[in-house]
Amino acid sequence: MNWIGLQTIVKREVVRSFSIINQVVWPPVITTLLYIFVFGVGLGSQIKSIDGVSYATFLIPGLIMLQVIDQTYGESSSSFFQGRFMNSIQEMLIAPLSAVEMVSGFVVAGLLRAFFIAVLITIIGFIFVHSLPGNWGLYLLVIFLVAVLFSSLGIIFGLLAEKFDHIATLTTFVITPLVFVGGTFTSNAFLPPLLREIAQFNPMFHMIDAFRYSYAGHGDAPLGPSLLIVAALAAAALAVALRMTASGYKLRV
Amino acid sequence: MSEPAIRIDRLVKRYVDAQSRGEFVAVDGISLRVEAGEFFGLLGPNGAGKTTTINAIVGLAQITSGSIALFGHDVVRDWRAARATVGLAPQEYNFDRYLNIRDILIFAAGYYGLRGAAVRRRADDLLERFDLTSKARQTYTRLSGGMKRRLTLARALMHEPRLLILDEPTAGVDVELRIELWQFLRELKAAGTTIVLTTHYLEEAEELCDRIAIIEAGRIVALDRTSALIGNRSLQDVFLELTRR
Repeated sequence: MNWIGLQTIVKREVVRSFSIINQVVWPPVITTLLYIFVFGVGLGSQIKSIDGVSYATFLIPGLIMLQVIDQTYGESSSSFFQGRFMNSIQEMLIAPLSAVEMVSGFVVAGLLRAFFIAVLITIIGFIFVHSLPGNWGLYLLVIFLVAVLFSSLGIIFGLLAEKFDHIATLTTFVITPLVFVGGTFTSNAFLPPLLREIAQFNPMFHMIDAFRYSYAGHGDAPLGPSLLIVAALAAAALAVALRMTASGYKLRV
Repeated sequence: MSEPAIRIDRLVKRYVDAQSRGEFVAVDGISLRVEAGEFFGLLGPNGAGKTTTINAIVGLAQITSGSIALFGHDVVRDWRAARATVGLAPQEYNFDRYLNIRDILIFAAGYYGLRGAAVRRRADDLLERFDLTSKARQTYTRLSGGMKRRLTLARALMHEPRLLILDEPTAGVDVELRIELWQFLRELKAAGTTIVLTTHYLEEAEELCDRIAIIEAGRIVALDRTSALIGNRSLQDVFLELTRR
């Protein structure tokens, strides 16, 4: 195992993230602040409570998931695609680095980014809404699983894409709509019965709901099955990313 | 007898053309042996299969059939040991745009499993050797073409490879720098590094290479000691005669 090589990939990704700080750090912070003020403090003041917690407190876990998903997918997909596009990924491909080491490097970097953004938003939530998770273990576990899933998806789409536009396709047509209807802003209990049933098939609902347990101590669906669904999706995405990288798909001609 | 630096045995590389879906044979059964410490030239017209052969050696191209071994390490079965022996200076600049010049070198060594004070020292030594010290904190986009060429070579040398592959190392550089690079390559060879060179500057190959292989349409059409290949003619005449389609 080339541990130093793996660490070098992680370090390279961290350097990359901080060199584009206006793309990686500030957008999630500013977007979250806007959501908190407009929905949490503004509209939220008209809503008494959801599932026994204030609307602003209900909102924070959804906003953390929204940004963690968006940033881990966006960064790993653009980094991988850019590496292909600019050929800089060839540096890693000619080095004694296995597919496991390469994919692990990108996924670990995605995890670091996810935890960094989650902590920033958690601090914002604490400052403005006085809300903190009650179950830190669950908080860390769900962020871990979601970050593995979306970093891996980022690698997969970074490999599939032929132009930057293709990367944005998944975000625009799949991720963002599913996150928005997946319980970020409202409880599933508010939906009509038919839509409530359909929501069970939205994987984002299970991520957000499982994460909300760490704050509120309860959610709309049972925690165990939601965690299993997220873990299974993360494992499947990681396996596909590994398989594609190991086969040299669009990497080695 | 020691293992050759490169042993290529009946290498075939076929591509599927994305548009026509037809097969294209880029390398058609090449076999050759490059001895350790040798300066070897791989010449041929555009599209002859030089870069594909190099890509197969370094692991950027997947081999259709045949085999390649570097210092006895098969590039497929024993890929980790094989890749550790080779450094590539590609024709196209493929530097990491988010790193400064010094970090490009340090991170390159990191991918090979190297780090620490010795790596930082080597990076500084190479920056000095290639007259890039004053640019160490800049990104590569601010370097001139000649500086980028030198950086490509410095990066390929960071892990002290036993085999250095140079794909058009002097393309687009001025005469002064070209002569300077030739001198550096001679010093490397004297220190025991095996060098494989592809170039369109035939006088460069004539000047530097112990042996030359000429590839045409994926096949070796000539392979001999430079002096024997040329005889009393020029390399250009020999090249044109062998590769005129």
